[in-house]
Amino acid sequence: MAVQAPDRPEMAPPAAKRPLMGQASALRVARVIWLREVLVYARDRTRVFSALMMPILMLIIFGEGLGNSIGSLAPGVNYRQFVFPGMVGMTVLMTSVFSGVSIIWDREFGFLREILVAPVSRTAIGAGKVLGGATIAIFQGLVMFVFAPILGVHLSLGVMLQLLPVMALMALTMTSAGIALGSRLRSVESFQMVSNLTIMPSMFLSGIFFPVNNVPAWMEVLVKINPVTYAVAPIRSIALSGQVPAGTSGMAAQVVSIEVFGHVLSTLESLGVLAAFGVLILMVAVRSFRAQQ
Amino acid sequence: MASTTAIEVDELTKRFGDLVAVDAISFEVGRSEIFGFLGPNGAGKTTTISMLCTLLKPTSGRALISGHDIARDAAAVRREIGIVFQDTTLDDRLTARENLVFHGELYGMHRRHLEARSAEMLERVGLADRARDQVLTFSGGMKRRLEIARGLMHSPTALFLDEPTVGLDPQTRRSLWEYAQSLRESEGVTIFLTTHYMDEAEACDRIAIIDHGEIIALDTPAGLKGRLGGDVISVSGKDNEALAGEIRDRFEVQARLEDGAIEFRVDRGDVFLPLLFSRLSTQVETVSVRRPTLDDVFVELTGRQIRESAADDTDRLRTMMRTGRVGPGGGVRPGGGRH
Repeated sequence: MAVQAPDRPEMAPPAAKRPLMGQASALRVARVIWLREVLVYARDRTRVFSALMMPILMLIIFGEGLGNSIGSLAPGVNYRQFVFPGMVGMTVLMTSVFSGVSIIWDREFGFLREILVAPVSRTAIGAGKVLGGATIAIFQGLVMFVFAPILGVHLSLGVMLQLLPVMALMALTMTSAGIALGSRLRSVESFQMVSNLTIMPSMFLSGIFFPVNNVPAWMEVLVKINPVTYAVAPIRSIALSGQVPAGTSGMAAQVVSIEVFGHVLSTLESLGVLAAFGVLILMVAVRSFRAQQ
Repeated sequence: MASTTAIEVDELTKRFGDLVAVDAISFEVGRSEIFGFLGPNGAGKTTTISMLCTLLKPTSGRALISGHDIARDAAAVRREIGIVFQDTTLDDRLTARENLVFHGELYGMHRRHLEARSAEMLERVGLADRARDQVLTFSGGMKRRLEIARGLMHSPTALFLDEPTVGLDPQTRRSLWEYAQSLRESEGVTIFLTTHYMDEAEACDRIAIIDHGEIIALDTPAGLKGRLGGDVISVSGKDNEALAGEIRDRFEVQARLEDGAIEFRVDRGDVFLPLLFSRLSTQVETVSVRRPTLDDVFVELTGRQIRESAADDTDRLRTMMRTGRVGPGGGVRPGGGRH
């Protein structure tokens, strides 16, 4: 049954000219998605504080509690100084992965639909999401710097500027993991369970809390296949460069660096491994995000 | 006639396994028309609208929006349409203005137009004074208006509204309609909406009634009612059962019991009433005569009333979710962060 639309010449405007329309470039899409993530984060103060609670708690418990009985790990490095860069890494790790839950909230409250029906590339949307989550994670990590003087870690401006790209690379990698999880899981509860199950082992087996060059062989395998390991080691060696000068070998290097097949990785080599993990996880994240609905 | 046709649908079909949700429907919608898609729940309304909005692939058949094929050129179709879903899709932590600007960015609007256009749209839906408030402070009706403004932000040819007034109180529904009609005038936009409210259907230029995936009628509201003709008589008494029985026997009409009254249709009410009183032995307490409504047309065509009551429970839950009090699954949304 075909029904003809009535002729309504008086109602029909000329084929509307659309001066307002263009085509959003991938860059513009990623930018606006990024902007929205950051904006929403900045409006939510409880989020800023609660993301810092865990690392602060750990700093107090481990730094003060354990620190007093361990003493110095290597010449010039006591436990408090050792654990501080680990806490920076932990903050970045947790904030990054948990940012993936925003996809689940957006889905449950409908906003994801508004984004997904727009005539834009999903890869660009996913990229914006990753960049947004990573920006927030970097910021949270930077906030941890205020504890450095209390713990006896000297952070010069140069050191901070060196730490920034390392934290950024770590944040991008870990946010990708969070986005991959958020795209695949359907409820906040399952996201929290799965992300905790992912974060906990990768946190404890990464050198955040203790040096990992003298652990049993089975544990060493787990440590070395853990991407977080290759983020924590460079953060630590850069952050403690005031305590342990570059090029130092022996005990101190053992404590701040990671050794693979008998070769002590330099900061750049560690970052190379991290970047490789990052590309891999980002690919999984983009695939997962594109596959939605 | 491409310039006067906004939506062309030809033998559009959607199957889910053995179920034929939409069965080879065809129709056209003209530019600037308000076109109502009416039908009971599960009749295929949402499936049709989802296909037209490129969210669902048709099994067979074809549809064009402003000349763009929904199956082959989804991106072009999406630029031509604005969509307001049954459930809110706003970010309630952004302000009203930010929601519009965000939308404009995604739809590639030129930067210099963004501010002016969002201000203009907020003005049109009466939210100009709330532009800088976070959406979470808005009522259900305000959120709907904002969504309509957002749907029109990028000047689409057609605006799709899927049950736009579900869960809103009657007053809000009416004002929403006034906005929709004024926007049709000012924007020259075609409005395609699904509804199961008869009063909303009355306000459309044309209505398609869909049942079991097929269009069973398509006409103007007046045309549909005119097709039925005559008057509807409604009587009630102490014993409605007996009364209905007697009316059926004596006048050979299809009398139905409804909400404590007996309803039936006759050719002329003014001629019929004297006959009714002179021939009836069972006692009558109330009588009324009215013109047929769309509801009567619907009953005539489908054998059912539009089941507004069937949607009640979901509506209520939806409203609560919209106002942000309850998360899906019944969980309360944390007031603070979404970690």
